[in-house]
Amino acid sequence: MTVTTTVVGSYPKPPDEGRAFALRKTLHKIERGDANLEELRATQDDLVRAAIGEQEAAGIDIVTDGHARWDDILTPFARTITGFEIGGLLRFFDNNVYYRRPVCVGELEWGGPSSVEAFRFAASVATKPVKVVVPGPVTFAHLSVDEHYGDHESFVLAVARVLAQEAFELEAAGARYIQIDEPALLGAPEDLELAGRALGIIADELKGDETEVTLATYFGDAKRLGEAIYELPADVFGFDLVSGPENRVLIDNLPDGKKVQVGLLDARNTKLEDVDTLARDIDALVEQFGSERVLVSPSSGLEFLPREKARAKLERLGEATAQAAGRTRQDPKEVGA
Amino acid sequence: MSADLSGPGLWTTSVGSFPKPDYIKKARGRFARKEIDRGELLELERRATREWVEFQNSIDTDLVVDGEMYRGDMVAYFAEELPGLEIGGLVRSYGNRYYRKPIATGPVGRDHPITVEWWKYAQSLTDKPVKGMLTGPYTICDWSFNEHYGSRRELVLDLAKVIRDEALDLERAGARFIQIDEPAASTRMDELDLVIESMAIVTEPLTAHTITHICYGDFHNAYPKMLDIPVDQIDLEFANSDYSLLEEFTDNPFTKYIGFGVVDVHSHHEETVDEIAEGIRRGLKHIPADRIFVDPDCGLKTRTVEEARTKLSNIKQAVDLVRAEL
Repeated sequence: MTVTTTVVGSYPKPPDEGRAFALRKTLHKIERGDANLEELRATQDDLVRAAIGEQEAAGIDIVTDGHARWDDILTPFARTITGFEIGGLLRFFDNNVYYRRPVCVGELEWGGPSSVEAFRFAASVATKPVKVVVPGPVTFAHLSVDEHYGDHESFVLAVARVLAQEAFELEAAGARYIQIDEPALLGAPEDLELAGRALGIIADELKGDETEVTLATYFGDAKRLGEAIYELPADVFGFDLVSGPENRVLIDNLPDGKKVQVGLLDARNTKLEDVDTLARDIDALVEQFGSERVLVSPSSGLEFLPREKARAKLERLGEATAQAAGRTRQDPKEVGA
Repeated sequence: MSADLSGPGLWTTSVGSFPKPDYIKKARGRFARKEIDRGELLELERRATREWVEFQNSIDTDLVVDGEMYRGDMVAYFAEELPGLEIGGLVRSYGNRYYRKPIATGPVGRDHPITVEWWKYAQSLTDKPVKGMLTGPYTICDWSFNEHYGSRRELVLDLAKVIRDEALDLERAGARFIQIDEPAASTRMDELDLVIESMAIVTEPLTAHTITHICYGDFHNAYPKMLDIPVDQIDLEFANSDYSLLEEFTDNPFTKYIGFGVVDVHSHHEETVDEIAEGIRRGLKHIPADRIFVDPDCGLKTRTVEEARTKLSNIKQAVDLVRAEL
């Protein structure tokens, strides 16, 4: 028995160097009116199969659909929630990557599932369990414009209520791993108590024992939140150890009964990690908490990397985990630098 | 200022890039597929450069740019030419837009001038000064992967020496205005000191009028510290935030020459002459005319050729209107 390997969310959409880029071509065709949404869906289905296949081949235990159908973590939800419109492009945290800012123009209401169908498809093609990602209410609010509620707290709680419905539907569809992303909380420690209430609204919709809820943070450290972060209603707490090395202190103080998802691989730089070093890091985590309470992952979604690099990183994580378990994988993959 | 622009101020210029005409887009595709050689592509890039300089001459632009017909993007262009940087794989920037993100794989250096021949060519086509156009060390680092250096700072400081040498070569060739773009400068407040430190390396030996362009970002937190970046002029976007940046200048006056962006480059909306003139008048409440260069918010390369020409013509007409009121 060893630690569980997982990913934080996104996976690169471009193919390996020199291969045809079907998704980009299909989207261009749609722009020109030469393709329909069925063709797009088929192209995205292929991309989901490939993303899941590559994660599984690398030895990832809990996979995602790679956000193959999403442009960013907010737009697919903002599109289906009544009361949101889609605004202009804004920088996504400190990355040279942009997202479309949701604009809240009216009372928010659940307008039907945003992610359930995508989950069902992913689960049908995966042999490993599929984790779904839902943007956290605090992050959703920080990255949006509120032209309706007028105060931050009402806005955050309104977002939480519609996302709770989404989480309920996901669980009903069979999702057992739900990750709520709250990267914006790292820069807004004043919102911690509010985040607790907002996440509570979501957690209350879930049956509890059957579903594992992960609270994911990334792109920095949570030291301004301190150990109070563990009071948030989640089973697993995700930290980025690459952009936030100081998260080590928080991880050391993981409370009994909670699990930690440790972002060991740099998801934002192409330099490949050394397998032996990763294996030693994993050994140390197992020593500290026991394998049952530790998940290891990249530091954030992998879409910041070219496809080959993202895959090579996951393969190294898989190898390191196998090495830490004291066994050699039966089919070790050749990992090119 | 070391440059010799005369007149009452409100000089017209551009931030850098212009849209590529269709024949350049096609030729770049054919070159990538090895259907034409570099010489043929170069001939077309020279033609497009000539057309853009002639257009700027026709509307009497005060400070001319070459339009960057020969660049894919502002970081990859330098990465292709600099030892130590390689062009990496595709990553997405938004929607269906992807770019090749460079990778620092070794010590970064420079073995030949990169932009000087293009600057000389553009300058040969006009009596007005042509800006030397460089990408700043912080932005090249921020928009690249790093597999070699132990820290971002080490990479930025090596890049600063490279860009300084390029700027010195531009100056030797006769450039009196040199722009070192740092669109990434407002991304991380905790690294603004690094932007300042690296820009000092670039501009310290220069006698030319130095400019940097910074994109909107976290302006509220970056200002007024941004004024410590050692350049003569900072070029900023105003139109796309309806001139809200000007409010910051009430408590903390802007102390440098300014590049004053008056048309939104991400919008098909065609700002009228009156709208632009009103924007310039708002700027004049905070900064005197002889410290203002009027230009678009950012590079115009995402517009169509026609849209870009209209925006530039309207800027010129608006400037004439406001100059008459001075």
